Amino acid sequence: MTKSLVRVAGLKKYYQMGGTVVRALDGIDLEIKPGTFTVVMGPSGSGKSTLLYLLGGLDRGTSGEIWVDGQSLNDMDENSLALFRRRSMGFVFQSFNLIPSMTALQNVAFPMQFAGVTSARREMQARNLLAQVGLEDRAEHRPTELSGGQQQRVAIARALVNDPDLILADEPTGNLDTASGAAIMQLLSDLHLAGKTVLVVSHDPRMTRFATDKIFLLDGRVVSEEEYQSASLGTMDL
Amino acid sequence: MKFFDLLRLIFGNLNRRKGRVALTAIGVVIGTAAVVILVSLAIGLQMNANEQLYGIGDLTQIQVSPTYGEGPVVVGPGGGGGGGGGAPPQQKLLTNLALEEIRAIPGVEWVVPREFLMAGGMVKYQRLEGWANIIGVDVDDLALLGLEATQGSTALGRGVVVMGPMIANNFYDPRQRPGQEPPPPPDLYDQQIQMIVSKWDAQGNETRKNISLRVSGVLKEARGESDWTIYMPLDQVKALNEWAMNRRINYNKDGYSMAVVKVANVDQVLDVADQITQLGYQAYTPQSFVQGINNFYVILQVIFGGVGAIALLVAAIGIANTMAMSILERTREIGLMKAVGATNRDVLAIFLGEASGIGFLGGLGGVLIGWLAGQAINVIAIVYLAGQANQQGGPPPSVAVYTPLWLPVFALVFSTLIGMISGLYPALRAATMIPVMALKYE
Ligand SMILES: Nc1ncnc2c1ncn2[C@@H]1O[C@H](COP(=O)(O)OP(=O)(O)O)[C@@H](O)[C@H]1O
Ligand SMILES: [Mg+2]
Repeated sequence: MTKSLVRVAGLKKYYQMGGTVVRALDGIDLEIKPGTFTVVMGPSGSGKSTLLYLLGGLDRGTSGEIWVDGQSLNDMDENSLALFRRRSMGFVFQSFNLIPSMTALQNVAFPMQFAGVTSARREMQARNLLAQVGLEDRAEHRPTELSGGQQQRVAIARALVNDPDLILADEPTGNLDTASGAAIMQLLSDLHLAGKTVLVVSHDPRMTRFATDKIFLLDGRVVSEEEYQSASLGTMDL
Repeated sequence: MKFFDLLRLIFGNLNRRKGRVALTAIGVVIGTAAVVILVSLAIGLQMNANEQLYGIGDLTQIQVSPTYGEGPVVVGPGGGGGGGGGAPPQQKLLTNLALEEIRAIPGVEWVVPREFLMAGGMVKYQRLEGWANIIGVDVDDLALLGLEATQGSTALGRGVVVMGPMIANNFYDPRQRPGQEPPPPPDLYDQQIQMIVSKWDAQGNETRKNISLRVSGVLKEARGESDWTIYMPLDQVKALNEWAMNRRINYNKDGYSMAVVKVANVDQVLDVADQITQLGYQAYTPQSFVQGINNFYVILQVIFGGVGAIALLVAAIGIANTMAMSILERTREIGLMKAVGATNRDVLAIFLGEASGIGFLGGLGGVLIGWLAGQAINVIAIVYLAGQANQQGGPPPSVAVYTPLWLPVFALVFSTLIGMISGLYPALRAATMIPVMALKYE
């Protein structure tokens, strides 16, 4: 049995909202093995994004533990968490989060500055990655000069610059039309087939086509597929 | 993050918000320009005042006289100090030993004793009579004292004198009848003049002595004592004084009536004067007067600089505001930077750098404008002041506004620092944002 890349035990994330407590995550246990393509499914507000951000070390849980590569994120201070994200994580967001004043090439190369990579190597690597996502001829374009699908591909290229252990994508197709959404799914699947570990958060059932593993979330808890299907009959189509 | 990458990122970020950066920097430009112009003006005024002041004598010279006390202090019964009331100052004569003592003070270049002629000071030239300060100095050449000649030389010797330029104006015709035009001042250079010295015996009978001397040099106007003085070798004046007093003078016992002390550096003058006073002699230097005036101009500089600094303070608030706005607008960008591995320190450095960059750019503009404006003021003011000087006499000023090199350097560092301080709070807020919150910010 392979060692797991990510292990989560009893993870809770509560938000205090005035007088009430919002239980965004209410006791999560899961494992992600290296080389898998995991899709986290769940209706809006079920805690998918919260889970993804906690796995990526962008926030801390209220209680519980997360180990990535055997290392507990609880034990890391803010600086170590930043270095952990720099070395081990690649993020893809629903809203792309490209820097509007920078070209596609500069956006892809941007994270490498913090790692102290020389500018010549940054440019070379960024060009390679843009070619990998099929955008070599758009390197000098700014985000506003690119379609949504192209912007998301730039963002995926950016997530790959540090050769991360885990790619975390939060509704990467959420802002895209069906066709470009499908292309992005295909791209993520290609990365998985090339050996990457991918975790995608989505409430789009088509995403599960590529999945090797599926996690279903309801109200901050992991549920079985059956439970999820019966519950989602009432909530999915709004 | 590499320093050069950081710089490029900072200036890239400033560049993409040119308009706002420029508007914010204008405040800094105005403040810095104000500091540069006003402080330059204060410095210029001070230099002008000093130029005028140099007329009052060589500022590196100290005049030292002996202290004629009430004799040695008598120690009262019971020993110790005796105390009570001001003890009479201890007598300190300017003997040759004393001169050695003064020469030993660090910073002293030379010490030259001098004596007044105590047997009168009447001089005659043909039918004209005049009066002069007659001083004997122990140097071969007056050039050592910093004096210059307009005619002849400053060298002293037997039978010759070097005189100040105003002496000639002192001559009058004793037989002049009322209503008659006074004679024009004679050109005395290379002429024979008569010096009349006199003494009285116990019965009140006057003995006169006529000494014939040739004028071997006329000094340049120094607007000081030397203008009205006839200089002779010290031993000649000593001989005349001995004749007048009917006794021998021993400088090892009686001391000189005055000595001139030359200090290597203006900055040391007050210090050396202090030490001479501490040794018990009387020291006088125009520098203490100049110091007072300088203090006034330093205060003026501080006040003027303060006015500019207030303008900079207002600009600082502008920078803080711009940075706070910018950080709010770029919250998601900050979140992204953190997601891709920027540490809190990276984020802090970027935003502090941007704020400092605004301060630096504004400072650069301000220094440039301040310097140019100063040059313009100079051109106008010098023409105007020269006109004034023509009417009122005195030398025309050479500068109105003076910008020493340290001022623009200081102003640039200061404005950059102001930018950095203004950016401190916004940048700290950016650096400590929780990444998730920043990424979700709408
Ligand atoms: N910063 C926050 N403050 C308060 N409540 C939050 C915050 N972030 C998320 N939540 C709540 O936590 C729950 C889960 O949110 P999220 O993980 O974003 O859901 P999903 O991504 O599945 O739509 C929601 O009810 C949401 O309102
Ligand atoms: Mg979400």
